[in-house]
Amino acid sequence: MSNKVDEIMNEAFSEGRTFLLEPEAKEVCQIYGIPVTKFKVARSREEAVRFAEEIGYPVVLKIVSPDVIHKTDIGGVVVDVKNSKQVLEVYDRIIKNVKSRKADAKISGILIQEMAPDSTEVVVGEVRDPQFGPSIMFGLGGIFVEILKDVSFRIVPLTERDAREMIGEIKGYPILASYRGQPPSDVDSIVDIILRVSCLVSEHPEINQLDLNPIFVYSKGAKVIDAMIILKKP
Amino acid sequence: MRIPEIRPYVIDNLKFMFKPDSIAVIGASRNPKKIGYQCLKNLIDSGYKGKIFPISPYADELLGLKCYPSINNVEDDIDLALVVIPKKLTEQIVTECAEKRVKTIAMITSGFSEVDNKELENRVVEICRKNKIPLLGPNIVGVADTSVKCNASFCQSLPYPGHIAFISQSGALAIALVGWTLKFKIGLSSLASIGNKADVDFSELILYYAERDENTRCICMYIEGIDAGPEFIESCKRAYVKKPLVALKAGISQRGTVAAMSHTGSLAGSTKIYMAAFRQGGVIPAENLTEMFDRALALSLQPPMMGDLCIVITNGGGAGVSATDASEKYGIPLRDTPDDLKAKAKNYMPSFGSVKNPIDLTGMCTKECYEKAITAALEHEDVDSVVVLYCHTAITDPMDIAEGIYSAVTKYEDVKKPVVACFIGGVECDEASNWLKEMGVPSYPSPERSMTAMGALREYGMLLGSVECDEASNWLKEMGVPPYPSPERSITAMRALRKYGMLLGGRKVE
Repeated sequence: MSNKVDEIMNEAFSEGRTFLLEPEAKEVCQIYGIPVTKFKVARSREEAVRFAEEIGYPVVLKIVSPDVIHKTDIGGVVVDVKNSKQVLEVYDRIIKNVKSRKADAKISGILIQEMAPDSTEVVVGEVRDPQFGPSIMFGLGGIFVEILKDVSFRIVPLTERDAREMIGEIKGYPILASYRGQPPSDVDSIVDIILRVSCLVSEHPEINQLDLNPIFVYSKGAKVIDAMIILKKP
Repeated sequence: MRIPEIRPYVIDNLKFMFKPDSIAVIGASRNPKKIGYQCLKNLIDSGYKGKIFPISPYADELLGLKCYPSINNVEDDIDLALVVIPKKLTEQIVTECAEKRVKTIAMITSGFSEVDNKELENRVVEICRKNKIPLLGPNIVGVADTSVKCNASFCQSLPYPGHIAFISQSGALAIALVGWTLKFKIGLSSLASIGNKADVDFSELILYYAERDENTRCICMYIEGIDAGPEFIESCKRAYVKKPLVALKAGISQRGTVAAMSHTGSLAGSTKIYMAAFRQGGVIPAENLTEMFDRALALSLQPPMMGDLCIVITNGGGAGVSATDASEKYGIPLRDTPDDLKAKAKNYMPSFGSVKNPIDLTGMCTKECYEKAITAALEHEDVDSVVVLYCHTAITDPMDIAEGIYSAVTKYEDVKKPVVACFIGGVECDEASNWLKEMGVPSYPSPERSMTAMGALREYGMLLGSVECDEASNWLKEMGVPPYPSPERSITAMRALRKYGMLLGGRKVE
């Protein structure tokens, strides 16, 4: 399974990129058994509508461009697109947004993605520490990560105990356990994602940084909504 | 140079560095202002029983010992070469040591990678590695081992003897802290200053102390930076099941080298990564130097706390409240005193005492009250540890109280429940406290410090409990108890283990 991952990374390197496009990053996740939202890359307006219908409304449309890492910043993401008319409209709008902010951006296509129902957001990430090597981060999404920096780390390779401990260690853990009458989140599914990421990054030293942000966690199962993988030439 | 892997020959041979039969002081000097003089004098003064060979081309005799122009002129085998010569001679000297088949080298000489002179350092290390000679340093204050009274360093004297192996990345701090060990009776088995750690690294020292040095019961580390991260975790994992590890990581500012392309990158600081490494390696962290030694002392003298009921016994309400506040911070849940213990404790206090946890014997209480209350607590099967607080009063003698505590503790040594003490007051309290430490009961001048010490004993208990829970989890499954791999839940599992009569941390439980 690693061969396919190598292929994806080599392609990025050959194009002079040091990061994977979102669909590439999600494919890498899929290869490692990490659950991601359904997605397809449309190269035309017609394809966009066809894929949206295959996936089922509502959908999310996102820019796919080697020149754009942070997609939201330039109006490259639109959520809750409900029908074919809106798909066409949003398709044009995203391309216009990107062109107007970054005229020379190469556009590889538009990602049509299943719109997963809202749920508790968590983040799983990876970073290479110069002394300890690949390390995994876990935190709750949104302000918990960004403002409160309520995150925990473990160094690869992780045991199941490590994964469970790092989830239980964050201050916001009670939100996962049960919050305002919500059913408890499926912690086992997060443990599973963490262990798969641990495996992925230890088998692929070219991965320099990784963000699965956000991941929606449900009372049963979890889904990666956005994935970013930054590479470093070995 | 980063260690390529954990090397068994280093772990095997470090005994020649810490407990050598013969030492050559290369660069011994007659000038009392030189380190080459101090090291030789320290070896003689410490009462070291092995052979000492001063090496210097400038003298025939030094401090009453025959002096040799070169190590080649010594006929005996050399276990440890203590190198204090100028750096430009080091390469040649290390080559001579290799020819002489010296077993280990501790290099005090400085002026290497710490001042960007990496090339010379690498050449010296290469010679040592090729000849399988463990090299400690360079840029260190030396090594010391209290069990063989060997002070091969320029520390003012041997540390206070005891059971903590102290590994320090700072030399100056090591010297200063030797002073603390004497002043506060913090017993060390051994001291290793590792300086530039050009060859021997934390991981190998940890394993030597954990697996080869019987006199060491706790390994204590002052860490500024680790080069071989995965090896460090691996060795700690191997070590902590045998002996507790405590570490202080200094320099906790945010690392700037991680380019923050991702969220994760921007959130990873060296502190968080080190804390993760400590957690995964079973290392008990300390926030500062005081806490480091407070925790190490308790871990070197007392058994781990294998459970979650800690009873606090005090003669003053205020001290009890402070201890209660601190207990939360250090993760010791203070549950209520068991009813039958409450009934017993009432006999050892005036009517206005309190039997809740903390048990307040009041300022009226005597040596006998303390002794009986501690005994009752240690005897009780639900109690896992005892913290004894004493506030100095006009009507009691702290030394008397210390004797009472010691008498109760020795009576119940075999139940393997940890006890720590706290004496709040003036000089007379320090005396009582120091005496207790000498007798093997850790004692501190404030409730907070005694609670952080007990917190460390509980953390170590949980670590051991987790290990045993892993081992026992299959068995538990068969018994219909689901295994939970988290520390809090391992307590639940420990209770289950206790029920089925399994052993925990060497402590027999019913």
